[in-house]
Amino acid sequence: MQEYIEHGPKKINRDLLAGVLGLPRWWMPIASVALLVILIAMCAYGWELNRGIGVAGINRPVYWGFYLANFVFWIGISHAGIMVSAILRLTQAEWRRPVTRAAEVLTLFSLLAALSNIFFHLGRPWRFLWIPPYDFARGVWPNVRSPFIWDPSAIGTYLIGSSLFVFIALIPDLAVIRDRVSGKTAKRVYGFLSLGWRGTPRQWKLQTVAGILLSALVLPVFVSVHSIVSWDFAVNVSVEGWHSTIFAPYFIIGAIHSGVSAVAMVMALMVWGWKLENYITRDHFDAIGRLLIVVATTWFFFFALEFFYAIYTLEDPEIALRTMQVFEWPYGPMFFVFIVASYFIPVPLWLLKNVRRSPMGMFLTTISVNIGMWLERFLIIIPGLARKTPFTFDWGTYHPSIVEISLVCFTFAFVTLGVLVFSKFFPLVPIFDVKEGEVFRDEIKVGRRTVPASIRE
Amino acid sequence: MTHISQNSASDHGTSNDVTLDLVNRHSHTGNLFRISAVILSILFVLGIAGFVLRITTDGTSNNDKWGYYAAVFAFILTTAQGAPMVAIAPRIVKAHWRRSTSRAAELWALSGFITTLVFVPLIFVLPGLEDGRRSFWFYHEGEVARYIPHYVGALSVVAMALAGLFLLWVSSLPDLAYIRDHQTGWRQKWAKVFARGWQGTSWQWFMVNHRMGILGAFYFMMLVFTHFVIVADFLMPFVPGWIDALFPATHAFNALQGGVATVLVTLFVMRKFGGYSDFIQFDQMWGLGKLLLATSLLWIWFSFSSFMIFWFGKKPNELYTLDLLMTGPYLWLFIAVFILVFIVPFFTLIWNPVRRSTWGPPLIACFVLVGTLFDRIRLYVAAYSVPADADMHGPIPLDLVPAAVYPDVFDILITIGVIAGAVLIYMLGTRLIPVINIWEQRELSIYQVHKRFHRTEVQVLGKPE
Amino acid sequence: MISFNKRSIIGIFDNVDVAADAIDSLKDSGYQHNEYDILTDTPYPTGTFGEGEPVHKLFRWPLFGAACGFSVAMILTVGTSLAYPLVVGGKPILSLPAMSIIMYEGSMLGAIIMTVVGIIFESRLPRLFMGAYDERVTEGYIGITVTCEEDRIALAEEKLRESGAEDIKYGWKD
Repeated sequence: MQEYIEHGPKKINRDLLAGVLGLPRWWMPIASVALLVILIAMCAYGWELNRGIGVAGINRPVYWGFYLANFVFWIGISHAGIMVSAILRLTQAEWRRPVTRAAEVLTLFSLLAALSNIFFHLGRPWRFLWIPPYDFARGVWPNVRSPFIWDPSAIGTYLIGSSLFVFIALIPDLAVIRDRVSGKTAKRVYGFLSLGWRGTPRQWKLQTVAGILLSALVLPVFVSVHSIVSWDFAVNVSVEGWHSTIFAPYFIIGAIHSGVSAVAMVMALMVWGWKLENYITRDHFDAIGRLLIVVATTWFFFFALEFFYAIYTLEDPEIALRTMQVFEWPYGPMFFVFIVASYFIPVPLWLLKNVRRSPMGMFLTTISVNIGMWLERFLIIIPGLARKTPFTFDWGTYHPSIVEISLVCFTFAFVTLGVLVFSKFFPLVPIFDVKEGEVFRDEIKVGRRTVPASIRE
Repeated sequence: MTHISQNSASDHGTSNDVTLDLVNRHSHTGNLFRISAVILSILFVLGIAGFVLRITTDGTSNNDKWGYYAAVFAFILTTAQGAPMVAIAPRIVKAHWRRSTSRAAELWALSGFITTLVFVPLIFVLPGLEDGRRSFWFYHEGEVARYIPHYVGALSVVAMALAGLFLLWVSSLPDLAYIRDHQTGWRQKWAKVFARGWQGTSWQWFMVNHRMGILGAFYFMMLVFTHFVIVADFLMPFVPGWIDALFPATHAFNALQGGVATVLVTLFVMRKFGGYSDFIQFDQMWGLGKLLLATSLLWIWFSFSSFMIFWFGKKPNELYTLDLLMTGPYLWLFIAVFILVFIVPFFTLIWNPVRRSTWGPPLIACFVLVGTLFDRIRLYVAAYSVPADADMHGPIPLDLVPAAVYPDVFDILITIGVIAGAVLIYMLGTRLIPVINIWEQRELSIYQVHKRFHRTEVQVLGKPE
Repeated sequence: MISFNKRSIIGIFDNVDVAADAIDSLKDSGYQHNEYDILTDTPYPTGTFGEGEPVHKLFRWPLFGAACGFSVAMILTVGTSLAYPLVVGGKPILSLPAMSIIMYEGSMLGAIIMTVVGIIFESRLPRLFMGAYDERVTEGYIGITVTCEEDRIALAEEKLRESGAEDIKYGWKD
């Protein structure tokens, strides 16, 4: 990091706990709007529970619609936390320090939002209980050979792993809040949550080792989750455009692309909302922008491979599907928007240093990415199902209903509200991590120039 | 709290000592080196003899006679030509440990001469597109040249070799200038020509760094593209119905694992026999050991992804492909590959004592290299053994899976000869260009400081932009 | 372990070198490494205050957890498949590729959970009583705690004051 502002522990505590010990003026209005959207969506869901899944737009042959596209989208966003936090922690990238917790929290709430879509899609959500392996007179055990059993095991592992990852890294900051809050109840609650943390060298050593060890353990889970989600589609031979070996890495790199973009968005919002420009500097946006160039290009490579190998099969139904996806209404315009928004707008802009170093520039380009990536998931799922069968009388279309639209909006509102509520009770920027960055920061004088450096043990 | 560490004048004196030391080591050629070069030259000549006998005996029209030849070509492409990535990637992320290893990795770009040479006969082995096989070029008579895979393949192999050589040359410019200024005789003359008047001006340093970045990115793109072309035209089309969108990426990313393994073994040899143990230390082995573990995990992930789709789908062409490459005549080879390329690296390198040693990662790298050779044999020999008159669009019935092809004397001679040739050209290259990057070592002495931090000693590493 | 005949005090320092001097002074006065501790609000390089490298056995926990998770997942997948032996999609009853996914997830879940338990345990958490502690530690001050028999606590207090402690607090008083 070339830009550096030294703060000192007291100022760091004050700045980073401002959202916890106080409340920004915009917090209540935005949380209220999010809550209102959630309430409206819950009414829509109640309507769906009462009337049945038929109130959604899904029908033969398009059995999977907005709910599944949204599910895959949020699973993708959830990969942000682990990508930014774990990989950057393992590679000892200094710029990760202010953004890891926000990324991890985004992961948690994105996963929950993704899971909610499955419940909405189920129609009879109590049937979710058929997944755990118990047999109390049902006479049926879960089918281990089905990707729909692999999914819950992977997502469950990821959810538990991410939650524990956030909690462990939060303990030292909970101790800081414990020592700063004034109310007796609040002190007790934070004291309980911090488990009596004192900050001994042993505890700090284990905290450092924990960060590396948990990162190394959660990373394989992160890879497996979206691979397994991709196999929900790829193992299926009957839907054109799905049965491809490249789906697992293609989905992962797409998830990283959309997830890291979401982290960049959250970074910009943190700078504007909580006035954290001294902690999340232009250097951080520059670093994430450069990462995004590599990720986006890799994603494009996998997208191109997937597309070309679909045509390589020389199977008429596959080629007809791709023609429909690219050239026919309504999918053609969506395809154009998807490809332009995911790659051809953001990446050339990210090559410009001014855009990379600008919070507004990164915010707008990453919104474009996520619009494109949502459309990508839609285009993977719906067109293939619309032309699923060889008989044209069985072909169908898909029109999302107001219920589906409401529940998709619910997921965005849920994640927003979740992150806001989290920020009210816990700091979004890891306090000890920022302080550690100050302790380990050094400079080397080389002639007339001072080069930033860091201490390695 | 920001501290300021000073790089003192005594460190500048140390840089000069390092330069003289490395230049002197570079000019010394020991007996062991000479003996090894002679043995490798003999093996290389035997390989050429094997090739001549193969081509005169069997010609180029029988695919199944060229499986091992294609396999060893792919092996060198995957291992030796993947090695420069070990210089490129850590340089991009500014890892300081790579400074002792980057030249050793870049020198493997010289194996591009071998792969280019070995590729030429394969152009004649590969049939034209008129046989109707599946291809990326969507061959229609009169619209697309039937030898277009040959042209593109040749271009990509040559371009990749050239990119590697340019990268090697650009990164060596300052070191060639040191040799020009400190050596005599033929070395000085050679260095004078190739140093191109290097003086060490700010502009020259800027251009070297800039060009290394561009050439590094270009080399990576060429690596991915070349592997894609080789797989898409010289491997998969031989197996009717083998449609695996992931496999070109798998083949390319195997090159990262192969490259790391190659460099690890090279570093071990440099330490043990080259006398470079004060430059190749724990940091380098640890950094590369972590990369080897990560790339082994990448191998299993990509391989399992392909396998799962084929296994679950159970389409006839998928069953045929799985039987041919995995569960049929090459089952034992596949098991060996699985153990050597994944099981051994994973279950050893997760242990800190193994990863944090100077012997562990190179030993595991040997297993990986052997496993990679077996893997290439499994893929290419199996693919090239599919009858040429098979229905090119598949699927082929399972009872037509050809039996395993065992190597004959010519195959063994060619395999050993090609590998010996690649190693020989590397060794000869180390006589022309220093195997440790001298200017990067000098740069390290500017950006690395050991100092006291209250009651302990710490290392401070600078991060210039 | 709570020792009822021991007392603890904490000295607050605002400077790393002064705190390190205090540690030296305690060592010279015969206090053992398990009788004093350093409290900071951020990790420092090991040995900054002259303390030794903390020894832990954290790496055993994920191995144990992975083994448990793998075993449980294997029993579940094998058991449920054999309990309901229906051929689905032409795949064998015991389909290793499918089972391996769940066994893999089980191993990772077990490893992660036991790692977290191990971290908490090895950090000697949860700590029911804070003992000698000062909230200024999380403001950037360095706390040096001494826990020893009551008859030696006065000496410890004297050494901390001599070394330049800004304040001394007693763990047994509010």
